[in-house]
Amino acid sequence: MTNIGIYICHCGTNIAGMIDVEELARKAAKLKDVSVVKDYRYLCSDPGQDLIKEDIRSMDLDRVVVAACSPRMHESTYRKVLSEAGINPFLLEIANIREQASWVHSEKEKTTEKAFDLVRIAVAKVKKDEPLESLPADVIQRVLVIGAGIAGIQTSLDIANIGYEVVLVEKEQSIGGRMSQLGKTFPTLDCSACILTPRMVEVSTNPKIRLHTYSEVEEISGFIGNFHAKIRKKSRGLNPDLCTGCGECTARCPTKVPGEYDEGMGKRKAIYTLFPQAVPNVPVIDRANCVYITKGKCGICKKVCPAGAIDYELGDEIVEEEVGAVVVASGFDPFDPTSKEELGYGRYKNVITGLQLERLLHTAGPTKGEVIRPSDGAVPKRIAFVQCVGSRDEHANKYCSRVCCMHAIKNALLIKEHHPDAEIFIYYIDIRAFGKGYEEFYKRTQEHGIKFMRGRVAEIFEENNGNVVVRADDTLLGMVMENEVDMAVLSVGMVPRSDSAKIQKLLGIATGSDGFFMEAHAKLRPVETLVDGVFLAGTAQGPKDIPDTVAQAKGAASSALGVISHKVLELSPLISEVDERLCRGCGDCKDICEYGAIELITLDSRNAARINPALCKGCGACTVACCNGSIKLRNFTDTATFAMLEAVLGGEA
Amino acid sequence: MTEFDPRIIAFCCNWCSYVGADLAGTSRLQYPHNVRIIRTMCSGQVFPSYILKALELGADGVMIAGCHIGDCHYVSGNKKAEERFRMLLGIMKTLGLDARRIRLEWISASEGVKFANTIKEFAREIKELGPRNGGKE
Amino acid sequence: MKEYASFLGCIIPNRYPGIEASSTRILGHFDVELVQINGASCCPAPGVFSSFHLDSWLAIAARNIALGEMTGKDIITMCNGCYGSLTEASFLLKGNKELKEKINGILSKVGCEFKGTSKIKHVIEVFSEDIGVKKIQEAMNTSLEGVRACTHYGCHFLKPAEMKKHGSSERPRLLDEIVEASGARSVDYKDKTMCCGFGGGVRARNLDVTLDFTREKLNNIISARGDCIVDQCASCHLEFDRGQVEIKKIFGQEFRVPVLYFTQLIGLGLGMGQHELGLDFHSIPAKPLLDKLNGGRR
Repeated sequence: MTNIGIYICHCGTNIAGMIDVEELARKAAKLKDVSVVKDYRYLCSDPGQDLIKEDIRSMDLDRVVVAACSPRMHESTYRKVLSEAGINPFLLEIANIREQASWVHSEKEKTTEKAFDLVRIAVAKVKKDEPLESLPADVIQRVLVIGAGIAGIQTSLDIANIGYEVVLVEKEQSIGGRMSQLGKTFPTLDCSACILTPRMVEVSTNPKIRLHTYSEVEEISGFIGNFHAKIRKKSRGLNPDLCTGCGECTARCPTKVPGEYDEGMGKRKAIYTLFPQAVPNVPVIDRANCVYITKGKCGICKKVCPAGAIDYELGDEIVEEEVGAVVVASGFDPFDPTSKEELGYGRYKNVITGLQLERLLHTAGPTKGEVIRPSDGAVPKRIAFVQCVGSRDEHANKYCSRVCCMHAIKNALLIKEHHPDAEIFIYYIDIRAFGKGYEEFYKRTQEHGIKFMRGRVAEIFEENNGNVVVRADDTLLGMVMENEVDMAVLSVGMVPRSDSAKIQKLLGIATGSDGFFMEAHAKLRPVETLVDGVFLAGTAQGPKDIPDTVAQAKGAASSALGVISHKVLELSPLISEVDERLCRGCGDCKDICEYGAIELITLDSRNAARINPALCKGCGACTVACCNGSIKLRNFTDTATFAMLEAVLGGEA
Repeated sequence: MTEFDPRIIAFCCNWCSYVGADLAGTSRLQYPHNVRIIRTMCSGQVFPSYILKALELGADGVMIAGCHIGDCHYVSGNKKAEERFRMLLGIMKTLGLDARRIRLEWISASEGVKFANTIKEFAREIKELGPRNGGKE
Repeated sequence: MKEYASFLGCIIPNRYPGIEASSTRILGHFDVELVQINGASCCPAPGVFSSFHLDSWLAIAARNIALGEMTGKDIITMCNGCYGSLTEASFLLKGNKELKEKINGILSKVGCEFKGTSKIKHVIEVFSEDIGVKKIQEAMNTSLEGVRACTHYGCHFLKPAEMKKHGSSERPRLLDEIVEASGARSVDYKDKTMCCGFGGGVRARNLDVTLDFTREKLNNIISARGDCIVDQCASCHLEFDRGQVEIKKIFGQEFRVPVLYFTQLIGLGLGMGQHELGLDFHSIPAKPLLDKLNGGRR
């Protein structure tokens, strides 16, 4: 005998508008073992929750079914209600009659019928649910942050300044990320390095931050509160502890190759640092281009190094770290416009990307801040910007990359201020100037005489002297226009990093249809992933500007702190368990478990399986593999499923 | 003679397809009411006996929806689901069941549209197949 | 020996039989035989017809394909327009069961059925895949060195790119590679991938718009010092050939650029004569080109 209480939420008109809640309540009341059925306008509200609590106490209810929105919304809310009312929180089931009924159907009668079926299913399941106790697990009070651009840096500082340890892993040889590549930032035109480098120095000197640069996370195992990470610290070809950062090696190195940091606009040496304020200020030997490593000749850097730091044979190092939460702040890649063949990138020298122009404009860049065009080094006076390259595009990426409008406008203004006689054209579809001060900045740029041409660029082709002609539809004039310019700049969008699939596999997090890492809920959970204990910050989650990146990074820090600030966490008890009396010890479950959570133990001269509750993730694969049903997934058992099916198909009462 | 209204059971995995179904809801996409969703933790947790039981009890169609291969929250649960489903397809005829009544689908958490369209399509197909007639078929 | 069913369309039999003659002869030289399709009609014109009535276009195209399927061979066409019409109709019918049933319902009235069993190819694919540029190069016995050929791909062969898949639709290589294999030099010119201007119904309705395109292309070819246009589409071929006559009449501007179908160019490389290749059916004489090739031909 059991006393079940059923609570039906109206959710305003979200449910009540399409489902006859009174009729539903009437039918539900007729179900066996149901003591009370009530409906309420907003069950998740305080009075709604109190209603349930009151009934539990006064009517001695021992199980509860809530018919409302998706369990992903309020399962934890209602579990807490049960706890507070004094009954086991796992004796709760939720019938999803909103997202999976009232919102997706349009016939009231049929939807009400369906809602009743869903209630029947929930009632059948709740009868089979067992009271479960959460498992306490010690929490490792440390956070792993993957990526040390501005997002990773901000998150790390916020956590470290509260007093918790951070392990910060950066793939490149220096922290700073994309923001370090930028010159002046919109809309204030303050210098990116000026605002970034103090933070970089803070990171390097903060005693709570353990920084691993030129490193990659190779493996992560575990669960919220208890992650174990294996990090590969790649060899720089020199001993970083001996290096003083004097730069002699770089100065004397004879080899020059195109520099990735300069987006190919300049050259770097085979032993190099990324930029003057690099943290750490220790170079790296590019093994693929080093003459000594590839051909056995040269070796100049070793000879001139006053600290004797060069060690070509130095291998990679594997470091293991234990953390309680992980923040992914791995950043973005710029869209490669080679595939947009009609724009001639890669074919015509004087067609470059926005990020390449950024490097040219950078005072510490390959041309010391002077914008010159690649074909002949001349100063371009007529420049065309092409917006939405690779974004808002059915053939490339459908989404808008958010920052390209402001980026182009900012760069156009900088060029115009430097060369007042320059003629600059920005070819756009729409101008997105959404942030604080952005619209004002856009207006200021227009007042400086920069011409905004509304129309999609159809083609760019080259004239004999290296000039390029931009052919676009000018929608405001209603004509096709051809414009010969000295140089064209493609405002390429942001795309997910090429190695994001690696990070995805490491952590088991999802990506959205656009390829960026997916947040748990688009509006309400922007920094969490669906994997407990793993959070997102910055452009790894989607295109955004610096203010939004920093805000999100701080949000991720706060969420990570929410996990690690407890010494003990309650782990979900929804895991598998073995009935050792029935188990034959065949080991099939052990073989099938992806998490190594099952081992075979000896029990009075026979083998039996035993599950490690800390490692079991509750997927249930072992339960199906088990030949005689001795493993069950708690509260997702065969008997429960059969009961649910009987309830909805057999028409039980 | 009332028009045949199929009864379809869909086992949806907690991490992908159930979320995809929720997304269809939040997006207010409309699809036929014939489906009743039962949440499982993983498509790899669905016993073949669940599918057969559902059919035995009178379901006209049974669908198992999981994450795309390579994206399973539990690494390879969906691969196991695929193997078991294939085996089940193989014996459907021997059991006197039309193999078209069961369906395995990969639907990610961001594929609300795919969820709705899959239900539309499956409901239409089951309608064409007609009722299970409690073992007559 | 490979065999294909040859779908000729309208322009080739009615206006430029040289395209069929040169293609058939040269394919034969490379051991590829063409089989006739009996009873075929206009493809029908992909842009015009489908704009007016989708089902009529599909039914007529499907009938042509069905007749081709009855020969038991894969189908080739020599005109981009026919290629576009047949491949797109085939794509739509194969992708939509209900549509296919509907169209086959119409075809059943004339005893035909679209099955989708024959592949549909453009004749240039036979040269590029079945024969290959190496064999073409080795077969050349007459030097075309010094010939500056301006290639014209046309539109319906390359696009929609997701359906047609012949490499890059913005910078295609297929026709250029074949032209170079024949010994001539493929010369780049401004707006090489631009439409010839025929545009299906545009030529019929707004000849001045059409000729504006054609003129632009011809001007660009003259700027690039092209000796001839080499095309792969019967409609484009007509546009460039007749277009030059019309441009002279309407605008008073004279161009005398010889227009060759690509198999006619290969034929010259194989030492074939003007008549064999049907060049004498053209409005614009090929003489300037032939003269350039070692003092003229018979």
